[in-house]
Amino acid sequence: MSHLAAADPEDAAATMPAARSDVVSLSKITKSFGPTLANAAIDLAVSAGEIIGLVGGNGAGKSTLMRILCGATSPTLGSISFAGQDVSFVDYDTAEAQRRGIRMVHQELSLCANLSVAENFFLETPGEAANRPGWRALYRARARAALDAVFPANGIDVNAEVGHLSIAERQMVEISRAAATPGVKLIVLDEPTSSLDLDRSRQLRAFIRERARSGLAFIFISHKLQEIIDIATQVMVLRNGRTAWRGDVATTSIGQLVQLMGGDANSIHQHSAAAVSRGEALVRLSGFLTAGLGHDIAIGRGEIIGLAGLEGSGQKELLHTIFEPDTARGAAVTRSGDAGFIAGDRQKEGVFPLWSVLGNISIGSLARRPALGLVSERANREAAADAAGRLRLDDKRFGSNILELSGGNQQKALVARALVADTPILLLDDPTRGVDIATKQDFYRLCNDIARGGRTLIWHTTEDAELLACDRVLVFSGGRIVKELSGEAITESAVVGASFAQQADTRAGSGKSATGAGLARGLVNAAPFIGLAAVLAVMISANPAVASIFGIDLLLMPALSLVLVTAAQMFIVGGSEIDLGVGAFAGLVSVLSATLLYDQPWLGALTLAAAVAAYAGLGGLIQARKIPAIVVTLGASFIWMGLGYALQPTPGGASPEWLSAMFNWSLGFLPTSIILIAAVALVVLVIDRLPLGVVLRGFGNNPTAMVRSGWSPTRYALVRYLVAGLFAAAAGLSLTAINTASDINSGSSFTLLSVAAVVMGGCSLLGGVISPVGAIAGAVTLSLIGALLGTLNVSSDFNAATQGLVLIALLTLRSLTADRRSEQ
Amino acid sequence: MNGLATFSLWAQKNRWVWSAIGVLVLWLVLSVVTNRFSLNSLSGIMLSASFLTVVGIGQMFVVTTGRGNIDLSVASVITLSAFVALLTIKGQDANLAIGVGAAILLGLAVGALNSLLVVGLNIPAIIATLATGYVLATATLLSNRAISGFAVSPLLKTLATGRVSGVPVMAVIAIVGVAATAFVLRYTVFGQLLSAVGQNRAAARLAAIRNNRVIASAFIISSVLASLNGLLLGAYIGGAFLEMGQPYLLQSIAAVVLGGTLIFGGSASAVGTLFASILLILIVTTMQIVGLPPGAQDIVQGIVVIFVLALAGRQVLSRRAAVDRAGDDGTLKPEQNAVAIRPE
Repeated sequence: MSHLAAADPEDAAATMPAARSDVVSLSKITKSFGPTLANAAIDLAVSAGEIIGLVGGNGAGKSTLMRILCGATSPTLGSISFAGQDVSFVDYDTAEAQRRGIRMVHQELSLCANLSVAENFFLETPGEAANRPGWRALYRARARAALDAVFPANGIDVNAEVGHLSIAERQMVEISRAAATPGVKLIVLDEPTSSLDLDRSRQLRAFIRERARSGLAFIFISHKLQEIIDIATQVMVLRNGRTAWRGDVATTSIGQLVQLMGGDANSIHQHSAAAVSRGEALVRLSGFLTAGLGHDIAIGRGEIIGLAGLEGSGQKELLHTIFEPDTARGAAVTRSGDAGFIAGDRQKEGVFPLWSVLGNISIGSLARRPALGLVSERANREAAADAAGRLRLDDKRFGSNILELSGGNQQKALVARALVADTPILLLDDPTRGVDIATKQDFYRLCNDIARGGRTLIWHTTEDAELLACDRVLVFSGGRIVKELSGEAITESAVVGASFAQQADTRAGSGKSATGAGLARGLVNAAPFIGLAAVLAVMISANPAVASIFGIDLLLMPALSLVLVTAAQMFIVGGSEIDLGVGAFAGLVSVLSATLLYDQPWLGALTLAAAVAAYAGLGGLIQARKIPAIVVTLGASFIWMGLGYALQPTPGGASPEWLSAMFNWSLGFLPTSIILIAAVALVVLVIDRLPLGVVLRGFGNNPTAMVRSGWSPTRYALVRYLVAGLFAAAAGLSLTAINTASDINSGSSFTLLSVAAVVMGGCSLLGGVISPVGAIAGAVTLSLIGALLGTLNVSSDFNAATQGLVLIALLTLRSLTADRRSEQ
Repeated sequence: MNGLATFSLWAQKNRWVWSAIGVLVLWLVLSVVTNRFSLNSLSGIMLSASFLTVVGIGQMFVVTTGRGNIDLSVASVITLSAFVALLTIKGQDANLAIGVGAAILLGLAVGALNSLLVVGLNIPAIIATLATGYVLATATLLSNRAISGFAVSPLLKTLATGRVSGVPVMAVIAIVGVAATAFVLRYTVFGQLLSAVGQNRAAARLAAIRNNRVIASAFIISSVLASLNGLLLGAYIGGAFLEMGQPYLLQSIAAVVLGGTLIFGGSASAVGTLFASILLILIVTTMQIVGLPPGAQDIVQGIVVIFVLALAGRQVLSRRAAVDRAGDDGTLKPEQNAVAIRPE
């Protein structure tokens, strides 16, 4: 590549109006992943006001380089400096990169879907949110201004939950958020226009030009080379982890860039259409899928069908529906003949990370055998060797762990898995993602062979060039097929044109059917309140004295402890974990307060503080070691119980006077229990509305995004468990005060009940939702079940079963009315 | 040095060896310190451990299905099954077949209910099995009121407590069961499917594995084994009492984790579960010999579980790091907190 030396530096300077000074400079960056070199001695200096277009094929090392730049990965070798000053990679992480003014907009977006647009702006620049009322207004205004600055007339509501925005809107939010950060010096945009339409893309480029004039630097990564040529001042081409070229944009052209990237106009073999016989249809698409086309689509033997369109327009969904025709969409897709699936997202949907290459291949045929059949290593090896031979995959690697292979060879193993399964239909989900060019060539050749052998390939790809190898191409938009191209009509521009054309009118139709399910969900959400009202009504009708202030206190005061434990559990569940030790912990605190705290107040207070600290520490341990919270907290529950049992083998002790006094007062006109329960709800609400609450919910929804925004997961796991521990400790104190004695077992039943109450209240076990009012209503209802059974003359033996059944019934209802989309 | 490296590489793949070493060391130490330990006392420990092993093997199947799946209903199943055995067998060998049939039916029913909740309704396993456990607790209370006496069938008594030339019959049952399980895991299609589902559920589904069937069968195996164990445990202690299954909840999970089965699923070791069961019983016995109060025993067991998990978490971290490295799409910085085990 030496004949393509970098452009004359003076030449480059002339195009740069701003004064040249390096914002950041990477030098000799090398990064190895096992045997493969993702980056090899790459230099990258970025000056103020520069717009660097970064291009390269998949797996060229762009994302690794950018992750090193943003502190998400440390390089094996190399150094980084800011304005000439060296910084050690040991201390360089995402938070440090942000402090130094580097922001990245990731391709797979990093917003918290359960938070509002304004709250997501807060997560990125939390500096000014002192815990004072009105901090939201500040971020609302900032979000509004930032969005309008980049994308005029965007119409995005800054109070809307991000989960309710379209993908394009989310991308706009993310870009504006990065651009609005105070003190930002360099913004890295990774495929920023992948889901934007042409107008928005133009707005973005105009904005970038304007900000670059005032000294902000950009790195612009895109597969759309026209955009690169249009926007960049400098272009850097990566190939196989090395810098293939860097120079002024004026000195290059699209054709040259393609060549530099290793592209080859003839890289994709044209499928020989003669081999196609459209005799019998193996797959038939109809119904709403093809409504826009006006005719059904029949896919026959020996065909290669391409699925194209903007990412997320329904191509993947179609592949999955063909693979597993489900009853709801069954009418639209019918399949005859077995189908095999080759996933391109190898880590998530492809490899079995504990197994060897051989194991990963032979599972393809095992899955189709009877469960009690015997496995023979020799038979597996023979079958796999045949498939591997066709793929040029060396069978000497069969014994290696699958993860030791390069991306390309892993993909070959996955294709081999489909070959040993020997199915007439093959579904391919972007199989060449992150695969080197040589493997791609093997792969294209193999696809042709397979199709000529009479099998059908249905191929979803994000590389438009690959569509040229298909016999027919179905273009998707908004979940439907909007265009069918075949033969000579398949061109990149035809595909792109069809992808964008009908976006507007397909999106409008999606909001209707939700109302019925929404009503059911509303009913489920109201369940705790309806339940509470029903229980109280039954009890008052059985015994009118219940309706007095004394009666209510008698009934609800014992519920207070469960309400507090529920508040604790809610914060844990908000972080998508479950604490199986929280009830035992409340019991331990009760024992401590009735023994040590009563006898020696100072020592008691100290022990209580130590207990809460230990509880919080457990949360830190769970996060730091990435171990399942359920088992750890179950283990911890034995520790809490053991401690309590050792301190106080039989129930007893006494409540300190001041503690009893805290729960034993009266205003006269309102039941004390109701005031206290409302106070708990208020405290939870306030915590949740504080910036702290927003951060905790953010971690519950999207920890990856939080880490990218520079938040420490371990610190907030500690904080989360500290908050929960304080509520659980308050529950323990209330137990002592209400019972005027302690029993280590008194809290145990609260563990399940608190989970049930949290679920009743509408919190998702997946995390990210805090809803104190519903959960507390649920807790009160559940704690009344015992009294209710008593009123109805049912034996208390049925208490546990009733509570268990209520929980099962609620979860069943929730599962049946759940929003299908949210499952992903 | 080279031998050590070879061993550590081998031990990485055969994680059961650590619990085996633990048993050996603790037993030797106890023998030397107390002078009371002998092969005979080991056979007593083996007998207690056999009951734990049976539950542990069932729990292992559930844990291996991944996603943090755990069967928390085993404790209630054990207790209820012991009561059902008393109700059906009534101390008569003639009724034994009915009793065993009832125990198996109970296990099948609970397992089917758990599967329905977990697989059919997508309820997290911990919550579903916890709730099932509560329902069973009421059933236990009711059967506690219904039983008339604590007679145990002689044949069952022999199975649970008898010895053949010094070796407990129950230990033979457990060891044969472990061997059969190890065979199923290693050499049958089902064992491979179970591992695949536990490693990567999405990949398993796309490889045409019927995940739901595999997961459901794991829950059913767990409940049936717990139920049979309750039957035998009742015969061993000569009756039944409320909460008799309770210790087996944490201990069965501890035995699985300690035995080298990955808590994140995908890799199980039946032999490890056997050794870990023996190790746990040894620890409890030691605490009893030393004279620690029951509260302290709970504390020690809790600490052992958390400690082992914290150590095992490290292995998984480096495994994830490997995934990130190979995939080049990770977002965290796993290298920093992982002790990389570099496969050569």
